[in-house]
Amino acid sequence: MKTRMKRAGAMILAGAMAMSCLGSVSASAAEPKKTVIGVAFYNDSSKPTTATKAYLESLADALNVEFKYTVFTQTDESANLTKIQELISAGAEGIIGTIDLGTTAIVEECEAAGVYYAGYLCDFDTSYQTAYEAVYENPYFLGTISDGHNPDDIVLGTQTFESVMEYNERNPENPLTHMAMIIFPDWAYPAQAKQAEQFVEEIEKYNETAETPITVDPIDAESDVIPFTPLDSTYFSKHPDIDAIASFAAGTSFVYPTMVASGVDGDLKLFTTGFEGGEEENFGSAGKGTFQQNVITAIETVTYPLVLLLNQINGVEFADMPETAERIGCDQIIINSDEDLEKFLVNIYNTGDAAGACWTGEDVLKMTAFGNPDATYADLVEAVTNLTLDNM
Amino acid sequence: MKILKKILLSLAFPALMFLVMLAITASSEKCYVNGHFIFIGKDLINQVLMNSCMTICVALAIWMQLKNGRFDFSGGASMVLAAIAAGYVGKNTGSMWAAFGTALVMGLLLCMLTALVYIIGRVPIIITTIGMTLLYESLTYILFGGEGVRAFYSNPKLCALGRVPGIFLPVGIAMAVFVIYTYFTASGRRAKILANNQSAGVNIGIDERKNTFVSYVFTGIIIGMAAIIYISQNDVTPQSGLSTSSILFSYIVPVFMGTFIGLASNDVIGIAIAAVGMEIMNYGLNCLNLGSGGWQQIIMGVFVLCFYTFSSQSYKINAFLNGLKRKKTA
Amino acid sequence: MKDNWIKKHIYDIAAYAGLLVTLILFFVFSRNRLLYNATTVIQTAAPYAVLSLGAVFVYSMGFMDVSVGQQVGVYAILIILISNALGGTTFGVFVGFLVVLAIALLCGAFNGAVAVWLGLPSIVTSLFLMFFFTGAQYLLMESTGINSISIQAAIKPSDRNIYTLLLIAVVALTALVVFYLFKFTKLGKYTRAIGANEKTAVQAGVNTTKWKVYAYMAFGATVALGAFLMLTRTGSAGKGTGSGYAMDIMICLILGGMPLSGGMLSKAGSALIGTFTYILLTNDLTTMGVSLNTINFVKAVIFIIIILVTCRKQTNLLPR
Repeated sequence: MKTRMKRAGAMILAGAMAMSCLGSVSASAAEPKKTVIGVAFYNDSSKPTTATKAYLESLADALNVEFKYTVFTQTDESANLTKIQELISAGAEGIIGTIDLGTTAIVEECEAAGVYYAGYLCDFDTSYQTAYEAVYENPYFLGTISDGHNPDDIVLGTQTFESVMEYNERNPENPLTHMAMIIFPDWAYPAQAKQAEQFVEEIEKYNETAETPITVDPIDAESDVIPFTPLDSTYFSKHPDIDAIASFAAGTSFVYPTMVASGVDGDLKLFTTGFEGGEEENFGSAGKGTFQQNVITAIETVTYPLVLLLNQINGVEFADMPETAERIGCDQIIINSDEDLEKFLVNIYNTGDAAGACWTGEDVLKMTAFGNPDATYADLVEAVTNLTLDNM
Repeated sequence: MKILKKILLSLAFPALMFLVMLAITASSEKCYVNGHFIFIGKDLINQVLMNSCMTICVALAIWMQLKNGRFDFSGGASMVLAAIAAGYVGKNTGSMWAAFGTALVMGLLLCMLTALVYIIGRVPIIITTIGMTLLYESLTYILFGGEGVRAFYSNPKLCALGRVPGIFLPVGIAMAVFVIYTYFTASGRRAKILANNQSAGVNIGIDERKNTFVSYVFTGIIIGMAAIIYISQNDVTPQSGLSTSSILFSYIVPVFMGTFIGLASNDVIGIAIAAVGMEIMNYGLNCLNLGSGGWQQIIMGVFVLCFYTFSSQSYKINAFLNGLKRKKTA
Repeated sequence: MKDNWIKKHIYDIAAYAGLLVTLILFFVFSRNRLLYNATTVIQTAAPYAVLSLGAVFVYSMGFMDVSVGQQVGVYAILIILISNALGGTTFGVFVGFLVVLAIALLCGAFNGAVAVWLGLPSIVTSLFLMFFFTGAQYLLMESTGINSISIQAAIKPSDRNIYTLLLIAVVALTALVVFYLFKFTKLGKYTRAIGANEKTAVQAGVNTTKWKVYAYMAFGATVALGAFLMLTRTGSAGKGTGSGYAMDIMICLILGGMPLSGGMLSKAGSALIGTFTYILLTNDLTTMGVSLNTINFVKAVIFIIIILVTCRKQTNLLPR
């Protein structure tokens, strides 16, 4: 009897939970209908993820949009498709994706459900190379903005070279003379191998006339290509004489922690991409001076896919909208001096505070075709591709 | 003499592993850079110590329940949630000790909650702990910012308890707690009786529920220690889909190996030595550039199978060796 | 009499009630997306259902297999590689599936037989296979040099509704075969007997090694089929394909009322009920507007409530 009472109690509890969910739904039914936009991030937690959420939420009221968030996996297409199906079931009319994995099936799914899809912080290169027709030419895929420049327009190698030169000019008594490089695997980021090549070419050109030439260890496929796992400590034994690392892979997450663990963060300089917070304590002339360059993409670039999605959902289009979806590259925020860092620290990317964002909801509304009949695609592209430290 | 023999037997595994890896790495060109042999060096000691300490803590937490007949799936989730809490508090206060205290308290609270649900719910332990794992994993998306903790382990001020020598504090506490509970408390001794014969233990008057709860309190301390090391060595992201059980599984090999190696001494020493041996192997594989990816997994799999086979067939090997001895003396 | 019937079937009643509640919520909250959601649920559930049906044989013996997810991943990649190498034809897909089926059966036999021969717990052989297949999946993908490979052949109808109907047919057919084997053949009878008490089964003259091998091989066959169904969803596979399936299957079976200790109370129906309850629950919570971050929490609470209701033991000993 006692057992049955407990069972009945548990069932009542489960019923009550279901009813409370029902209640919450019926309460929200009275509110005016908002456009639901799903955002599938590439990770749960990082500075750009937090800042992007804060930025999007700051736009929600002006654009009458509700955002729903999920996280893609970096390795499982089927799981990513399920995430998209969940967003669609949750009412998403447009979805912003950040990983090119399972995209063909995802775009197919979006088409079947009448939902639009666009990209952010991702060049969708695999789809670009192998499934252009199925993805880029599908009317439900609206385009993407890359994390920096596109693979066919690489500049990061040159930029890193310039950062190294600036460092050496600031430190003529102790210039960098021996560097190693780190990249992610080619299958994930084919651009990084090219960035490394570009960096080496620039150094070789410089060495032709330099008084103190710089040696760069060539990329070793086995030790210098990291498969999205922290750098192994044996890396420093394999590159015993270096005084700096150029990590085109996200060095703040994958390289610096190993440098700290191995106790070499005071001896080596790091030129890298990404910013996870806390780097400022050892940046430039501060602390151990480990970080000498961080490169990131402004999170406001999410405005590009957002505007394209909202235009389509609202049934209007820019007069100069290209017929086929585009992937557009963008200039990045390069932090390679104490002055740059000071400017960057108040940026939304670092603070996660939308007050520090470039644009408000009203600004973004003016960029849309339904909020401003004079708005053009060219203006949108111009705005989102030039978000550098000087322009922000 | 007997003690010396025990020490030698216990140390045989890591010594053998070191020699094997030394031979393999010495014969590989990949392990020479500018004529310098990279396997032997300060980094070997540093890495093996750091990684072994982490392994020991998690392995002790698993073994504490497993030796009492309970396979607890929730250890990984408790550790991850405690680590996120510790990282969150540590980053906000800028204090490593605040993080340490939080890890300890969270480890205790979560393990006590698991014990309470198990004791009151009377649901088989695997099912209970799967439920608790799902609950704790879901809380990683809700509590402490819901975004995990990044860059704690790259902050030299905060991560000292995950580095040598600071790491010896949590691992020392974990080992001490395990030894005190197992060998110096009445509860630990009663747990042994319950593990050997649950019915008999209960029939002679052991309060199994109290005993289980106390064992979880001690496990909670060890989980807390594992959590502070974990957050001091890794970025910790929110988890779902029982992914924390994979984290747990990744440390389970030294548990079983340790109990076998520990036959020569005791289980704590066995686990510690097994962990050191495994980390020497991992370091050697890293030098050979086999430290991550497919081959490491396959080598690990073959190693696990061989080891289990060896330990399960050890009585036959002993019988064979004894037979040889008898022949000789005859 | 009536009380006894309820007492005897309380697990079934709870499992069916769970399914019924999720179904009602599904119809209420899907609104104008009912058809889309229904097809989504079936597409997501089909591979899980097939895998869970096969897993019934293993779980009814009181064993588990932690290598399923990695096996699914490797099999999906192999089907793609083989069929693409054979020109992306339907024949290539067929050959790929046969190869995968053969490997799956072999792994099943390995799991069942080697554990017995070497005197190992079955979890150890499946742990070995998990490590092995994880490594194999990495190596296979590294050999391709890309993150994700796609199948060239068309492996599903372009019409979404026909595809869904085909999935239903495959699941139904698998269910019929499994029900028959589990209920009316020695395979089901002996696997349950092994789960109830292996020693007694041996003393009753059952060749337990043989039936363990058969049970694992039956599971292997469904793993191959499940991998193929999973592949039809996206037509591509990568390093992480299949990850988490082993645990998901365990949850499905628990929700369906399957005792993890195996034995005579094991039922093949647990697989279908549990799978659909699990998938529908996620869909319901999403359509009800529960935040995607909170869904896991709500699911966990519901799971704990269900196990407290259905799995509670009445002995004076704490169940292990």
